[in-house]
This record gives sequence, structure tokens and C-alpha cells, in this order.
Amino acid sequence: MSAGVRGRRQWPLPRLADPTAPLLEVEDLSVRFRMREGSVKAVDGVSFRLDDGEALGIAGESGCGKTTTALSLVRLLPPNGRIRSGSVKLFGIDLVPKTEKQLGRYRWREIAIVFQGAMNALNPVQRIGDQIGEPIEVRLGQPREAARKRAGELLDLVGIPKQRASAYPHELSGGMRQRAMIAMALACDPAIVIGDEPTTALDVMVQAQILQLLERLRRELGLSLMLITHDLSVIAETCDKVMVMYAGKVAEEGPVNRVFTAPRHPYTKKLLSAFPNIHADRRTLDVIPGSLPDLRNPPPGCRFAPRCPAAMAVCREVVPPEVRFADGVRVACHLYPTPDATPNLDLALAGQVPALDGEVAR
Amino acid sequence: MTERPHDETAPDTRHAPNGEHADHGAVPHDPDDHEAAARAAALHAAAHDPALPSPPPHPAHEHAPGTTVSAVAADAPEILRLTALEVHFPVRGGITDSLRRRPKGVVRAVDGIDLSIRKGEILALVGESGSGKTTTGRVVVKLTKQTGGTVIFDGEDVSTLWGTGRLRPYRRRVQLIFQDPYETLNPKHTIGDFVEEPLLVAGRGLSKAERRKRVIDALEAAGLRPAADYAARYPHELSGGQRQRVVIAGALVMDPELVVADEPVSMLDLRRERGLTYLFITHDLAIAWVLADRIAVMYLGKIMEIGPAERVIRAPRNPYTQALVSVSPSPDPPSEGEDAQRTILVGETPDAAHIPTGCRFHPRCPLAFDRCKVEEPPLFDVGEGQQAACWLAKEG
Amino acid sequence: MSLQATELTVEPPAAPTRRTRDALGRYLSRTDGVIGLAVLVLFGILALIPTLLVGPLQNVTTATGTPLQPPSLAFPFGTDELGRDLLNLTVHGARISMTIGLMATLITVFLGAVMGIVSGFAGGVLDAFLMRVSDFFLVLPTVVLALILAPVLLDLIGPDAELFGIRSTLIVVVVVIGLTSWATTARIIRSQVLSIKERMFVDRARVVGSGSGWIMRRHILPNVVNLIVAQAVLTFAAAVFTETTLAFIGLGDPSAPSWGQILNAAQSAGAPGLGAWWYIVPPAACVVLVVLAFTLVGNALDEVLNPKAGGRR
Repeated sequence: MSAGVRGRRQWPLPRLADPTAPLLEVEDLSVRFRMREGSVKAVDGVSFRLDDGEALGIAGESGCGKTTTALSLVRLLPPNGRIRSGSVKLFGIDLVPKTEKQLGRYRWREIAIVFQGAMNALNPVQRIGDQIGEPIEVRLGQPREAARKRAGELLDLVGIPKQRASAYPHELSGGMRQRAMIAMALACDPAIVIGDEPTTALDVMVQAQILQLLERLRRELGLSLMLITHDLSVIAETCDKVMVMYAGKVAEEGPVNRVFTAPRHPYTKKLLSAFPNIHADRRTLDVIPGSLPDLRNPPPGCRFAPRCPAAMAVCREVVPPEVRFADGVRVACHLYPTPDATPNLDLALAGQVPALDGEVAR
Repeated sequence: MTERPHDETAPDTRHAPNGEHADHGAVPHDPDDHEAAARAAALHAAAHDPALPSPPPHPAHEHAPGTTVSAVAADAPEILRLTALEVHFPVRGGITDSLRRRPKGVVRAVDGIDLSIRKGEILALVGESGSGKTTTGRVVVKLTKQTGGTVIFDGEDVSTLWGTGRLRPYRRRVQLIFQDPYETLNPKHTIGDFVEEPLLVAGRGLSKAERRKRVIDALEAAGLRPAADYAARYPHELSGGQRQRVVIAGALVMDPELVVADEPVSMLDLRRERGLTYLFITHDLAIAWVLADRIAVMYLGKIMEIGPAERVIRAPRNPYTQALVSVSPSPDPPSEGEDAQRTILVGETPDAAHIPTGCRFHPRCPLAFDRCKVEEPPLFDVGEGQQAACWLAKEG
Repeated sequence: MSLQATELTVEPPAAPTRRTRDALGRYLSRTDGVIGLAVLVLFGILALIPTLLVGPLQNVTTATGTPLQPPSLAFPFGTDELGRDLLNLTVHGARISMTIGLMATLITVFLGAVMGIVSGFAGGVLDAFLMRVSDFFLVLPTVVLALILAPVLLDLIGPDAELFGIRSTLIVVVVVIGLTSWATTARIIRSQVLSIKERMFVDRARVVGSGSGWIMRRHILPNVVNLIVAQAVLTFAAAVFTETTLAFIGLGDPSAPSWGQILNAAQSAGAPGLGAWWYIVPPAACVVLVVLAFTLVGNALDEVLNPKAGGRR
């Protein structure tokens, strides 16, 4: 992979940065939402690491906590959301105890976000050139001329003809708008760009174009990417690592070509087989019966147990520990109590291994 | 076949500027949207209430993996035929244009298509935004009036039904499953009201009890049990997936013969049992691949290719189809060099008011040559029931 | 694009709501709704049985008090310049004001809603035509219209007609208010209708064969009810004020003084200059209270009628 972001930075590292620390290290992050009916632990003990120039995909169904995880890195949470515990270390600097004011140094300048639905994130009455230049002026304190110039460069970078800087968002097509959003995210030369469902609202061809663009930017700029999506194909195409989340916890995490070709966690396996694959022979789709657990009152033990065809008695009582394998994959599942476990997942899912009780609890 | 996987909360429908509906992602991404955050958290509060009775066992519509969908009998009668169908919308200009009595242009959403569907078949109409697929669907269910061409349903010309009194009977037989389960249900009506409405307007002299029974049956068939409970609920009490099923129940309660499904995020496997015919509109080739018998690919108002799913996906003869198939998402990580096999087209689909001359795809086609720029190719037969509109396919 | 991999075997969420009983329960649980309703009930009683409460309406001949006396035990609201008991007048005024207000509101809201819904839903030529008609009524000055219509209507209905306890001149007042207010309501409702008719559930109703009338009644109307209620509240308040204005120009019924008329009389008697606050405060306070009560009820109804109840406050 590329030399990484630190070698190519235009702006100096934050003062307190530790140049030897990993780019991003999240440890045991927990986020709670206070609801009328109680407190919901949307993210519960999530840990992961992002290195320079790496692309991490966070996958999972809607409501699994992936968006909350990413947004909480820069504390973009609604008023009833709070980081309850854990650390988020960027260049070794823990962002969790920082005040809102202090976070300003990091938001957009180190970690930027590309949201889904560009029309919602773009100001409809401001020209896109100005919108892209704004963070440069505001956050970097650059004079307007310099910001304009840089905005032009960014437009070029993302494949929008420079003349369109004077266009309003509604004058651009969906794909163009998404590119504009990416340009905006790159404005302050961040170390990490988080894409929250960046291609979901787009046509498939445009999606391919945008992913191609992201890949090129990663190479040329040494960017690190975090892609949040329920669309596994996006992750398969662009990411090095994938983290599969379920009900606020990490189910499986590791290199994409390990996790997607040889999934260990039953949920990962089911998720993959539920994906309509045009290149596969089978023309059937798998399903995962049941629905997400109530996070006000999560089930004891493994949260996936109620829906897991391979669930055993211990799964319903004890939270599975995280186990790290030699090939770099982390799994939290009782089928893998030690790093040398090699159960037959297919048989387990079919409920055919003698020790399993195979019934879906209700 | 197993029941379709189900998007409970986040329909991934794409957004299209002309007439197609925007995605209503259920998990919001605006961090300041408290309502949405509450909804997201409320999604966690799916019913896992031990006090409720356990649901019936998972219906066993099992298909052994690897088997294909059974094809429709070759001699099945034709249930729908569209001939030279056109839907052109005038683009009205501003005052100056009105004064000069000149319309600014014409949006040729559907620009002359021929389509036929046999009884019991599932035909997927695939296309990106601006392809005209949604408009075609709307014409079939008579929400939009065609400006040219004919529609023949079950042997009868139904091109103009307004004001003939035959519109209502037609609507009983042809139904639409709408795209957005959040918007399709009137927030002031209960689920029961929604499913009952077609029965009420049909005025077929069904008694209240009979209607009630039909409503319950439809809800149960859509997988919503206990149906009586659901019937009393309001839409906001249901999740996205549940609403989608309600929409399906509402479309099927009349026992239609032809169902048009617009970007459905789930499709229950009722069709085989009920002998229904489906026209299924989607932007996702992969879904079409999984569900359809035949696939028609549309681009800028024309059909570029049509044929059995296996042929269109595995051996596409139109470069547009080829490109679409090559970029169709797959969860298999690309191996080395696989990138070269993806044909990522440049630019985006031009808008339907400015359709290129000749073959409308030629500006973006990697294989375009001279003839493509001036002459629009018709659909050529390339064997095994497949047709492609491309000069390269002319030789068969 | 991928499908969400969860299948829904669907367990229904919480117990189903029992509609009518629950709606009442929910309404009654709202403090504002209950207070508003209580106040309206109180004034309703005053309006229905004034004589029982304070005796017949006093006039010049039956006035027993000394003119312009501040409140006392005998006369809790003081007296007016004719020596009439202001409590008596205020209570009787309730009937007039409320009746006029309600009748005018009913006409306005009914006309406005029907026009708004039909015009908005039909669109095209009918919409354009109806909107031109409403424009005409929008610009009509109330007073001018009143002056023009008064003799015409009085001729029509005769000087002694009576409707719900109010006499000819006041009937004219009601008609005038109705004619000048409906257009605003119509426009507001029409705008909402324009956006509702584009929604997918209306399309769906069409697809299953529902006709225009059905759609207007069952789909459009329920979705504008909130707006109609809001309009009704505003119209009522405006009606009471308009009625006062018309009383100023002589379109009042001296034998049936409304609160507005009492205020008018206070003005003419020079009450403000004389410091006769007791003449002004009661009728004014009553107007304010009734309007407030309507607003509270309107708010509470809005929450209750909207099935999304249970959302955040």
C-alpha cells in the first residue's frame, strides 16, 4: 500500500501527535443514546485500528451501530448520544476527553466525512466552488483567493470540470454532487475520510465511478478511508479490511479477502449468502430469520444467538470473547474459543454438529 | 425457494431525477437529526417481547441451492403486450417561450418500446435513472398516460380506458406494488383501512365480513401475523419491512393477474403459487438475475436488450448491458487484474430531453463506430429468445 | 446495492391502540386540552343560560345601579354609564359573541375547506377559476362589503329574522365575516392539498381504483384536518374582532350587546379617560380567554388526532 498520509501532508501534525503511533486506534468504544424508554447502547465495546493509507469497511445491517461508531469518532452525535467509555486515539491523541472546542482542530482537518445523500449535505443556495472553499477559509484560515484556487484544484482532483465551480448543487447530477462532497471532504487535507453510505443513492454505473475515484484518491493522496455501508460489494471492491458489526458489537474483523472468502462468524456467512450476486451461479438468496434485538434490553450472551442457526447453550448465556487468528482475523463467537479452532461452519449452520442444539430460541 | 431477504429498514433504492422516487434510508446519517437518531435507536427496539406468542415456524419454501427458477411454459398465453409505446412530456419554457409559442423541448421518457409478457412469467425491467422503466410501469397501471403506442392486456386493447367505465375492472386485474413503503401508506389510515380500500372502491357487493376476511387473508399471506393485530395498527407503528409487506398485501388483496413491482426491496414467493405474472422494475441487475425469468434492459427510453435472464447476464450482446453486468456489485473481493474487466462508462446518462442521435448510447459506448452515430439500431434477434439493439449484433 | 439480509417474521410491536377510547383518554391526559375545554364549557354555560345566572339582560329601563360605579358587592363588575350591571351585560354578551363567532367560523371553515380541497385537488382550469374567485373575496374590504350587503341582506331576510338567537343585523355580520374570511382559509388549505396530492399514497389510491371524490374525502381531508382546526381557531378570534369593528359602524344590535359592543360602548362613554377599567377589562378578558381556550383545545386535538402521538414533546 502507499506510503501513507504522513509523508504527504501539507499541514503539520497536531501538536500533541505521536509520530510513531498508529493513525487511528479505537479501543472499547461505547456509545449510549438516552431515549424516553430507556438507555440504548448503540455501540458496545468496539475496538479497531486504522493504519496509514488503509481502507476499512464497516459493514452491517441498518441499526447495527456502524454509523454511530464512525460519527462518534468526531463526536457528531445527537444531543441524547454520549460516548460512555473507551478511547479514540488519533496519532496517539485521545479525542474522547477533548472539549467541543478542542475537537475543532480535528474535525474536517484530520477526519472528514462524506455523507450519503449529497442534496441534504450541500447548501442549495451556495455555489459548490464556495462550499468547497469554505472549510479552507474557516478552518485553515486561508485567504479567500487561496481557498478559491485550492477549491479549483480539488474539483480537478475529483473529476469535475473547473468551470462548474460556479454551479449550484441542483444544477449538478447525482454523481457530480457526490464528487463535490468528496472534494469538500478533502479540502483540509485530512488524514482520514469517512464515507457514510457514499454510493447508496447512486446508479450502479455512477457508483462504480465514485468507487474508482476513491481508490485513485487513496493511491494518489495516501488517504485512509473508512467506508460505512450495508453494501458488502462496496467494501469488497475498495477496502483492505472489513469490520462486521451486529447490534452494536463487532462480530468479525479482518482482511477483506479473508473475511469475505472464508467467513468465520455465522452472521458474516449469512450476510454474504444473502447478497444477490450476479456473478454467482445460484439464483437463490439466503435469509436470516428474526430481527435485531432490542438494545434497551439486549439478550444475555451473544446478541446474535436468537437468530443464529448454530447457537449453542453457552451462546445464550455468555458473551463470546474476541479471538484473534493467525491470518489477522478477529472473531467473537463461541464456535471459536481459541485461535486454533476450526469448526465446520456449514455443518454448524445446518445444526448438524453434535454439540450444538440447533434450535432458534424465541 | 426461500422467502426473500428483506430490507427491514433501509431500502437502497436509487434516486432518479425524472419521476422516480428518492431513497428513504431509514437509518439517517444526519447527526443533528434527533428524530432520525431516535428512529435509529427505536429500530433497535424491534419486537423481542417474550410476552408475545411465538411466530409460526418459518415457511418451508426451500429451493435447494443451485437450482434455477422454473421457466414459464413456452406456450403460456401472452398477458401483456406493449407496442411502440411512447411517453413524451413537454418541457414548458418560461414566459418568453410562451410568448413565442414554442415549447422548450420534449422529454422522451419512453421512446418507442415493444414488450410482451407471458402469463406466469417474471419480467424484470432494468435500467438506471432516466431509463424510462418507472414511467413504463406507470403506464401499465395507468397512472400515466402514454402519448403513443398501444397497450394490450389479455388480448384486449386497453390503450384508452378513461371514461369508458372499463378502467376500474382493469385496475382490479393489474396492480402496482409501490416503491417506498414509508410513503405508500396514508399516515391517517390503519393498516386494515389500507388493505381494505381496493375492496371498497371495487364495490363488488362484498359484505363487511367478507371484506374483513379478505383483508386478514391478505395480511397473513404477506407474512404478517397475527393479522388482526396488524390491521388495527397505524403505519408509524410498523417498521420499514413490515410496511413493505403491508404494501404487498394491499396489492394482492384483489387477486390481480398482473403485478407491477417498482423497486421492491423484498418479494415474497407468492407468485408461483398464485399464478401471478410480474413486471418487476429495478435498477439492480443482481436482483433481476436472482428473481426474473426474462430481463429487459432500458436506456434513455428504449430497450437495449431483452431475453432470458441467463442469456442477458451471461452473454450480453449490447455493450451497455455488458458494461452494466461488469460493474454490477459483487461481494467477492476482486482478484488481481480483475479491475480491467470492469467497463466503467464515462460520464452519466444524458437527460431525456437531449437524446443523442443514432444509437442513443453511442457517446458513451466503448465499441461505437460510424453507423452508430447516425442510425438507431432496432432489436436484432441473437438467438435463444434474446434480442439486442446494437449494430454489432446484427449478424446474429 | 444489497438487500438487507434480515427477513421479517414480524412480531408486531406493542399492543394495538383502541382508537376512540384511547383518543379520549389521550386528550384528557393533556393539561392544556383539559383547561381549554373547561374554559369553553364554562363560557358555553354562560352562553346558554345567561338569564338563569344573572337575570334578564338589563337595559335602560331596568338598570338599577348608579352610572359608572367601580366594582362592589352588589355589582361585582361595576356599572356602565346607564347604570347597568356589567356582570349582567358581560354574561349575556357571551351568548352573542360566541354565537356570532361560531357561526361565522363554521361558514368560513366550511367554505374555505371545500374550496381549498376541491381547487387544490382538481387543479387546472377549475383551480384557476376558483382561485380568481377567492382573490376577489380576499381583497374585499370588510367594512365596505358590510355596508353594501347590509341593506340588501336586511331586505332579503327582513328586519326581524332570527337565527340561533341572533337577529337580522347580526346575521348580516355573520354573513359578512364569512364572506371575507373564507378566501384566506381556502388558500391555506389549497396549498397543503397541493403537496398532499403528490404523495405516494394518493397515487396508490388511484391505482386501486379510487375516484376523485373518494380520494378527497378519505385521503386528502384527514390530512388537512389539523390545518382546518388551526384555521378555525384563528377565524374565531378574528370573527370576534371583526364583529367589534362592525359594531362601530353601526351594524350591531343594541338589544343584544356582544363583548365587542360593550367595549365599543365603553369607548364612547369615555371609560378609558374616566379610569373606568371595570367597563373595559371584563369583556376584553372574556374575548382573550375564549380565544386562548380555543387555541388550547386546538393544540390538544392536533396531538390527539395525529396518529403519530407518542412522539417526542
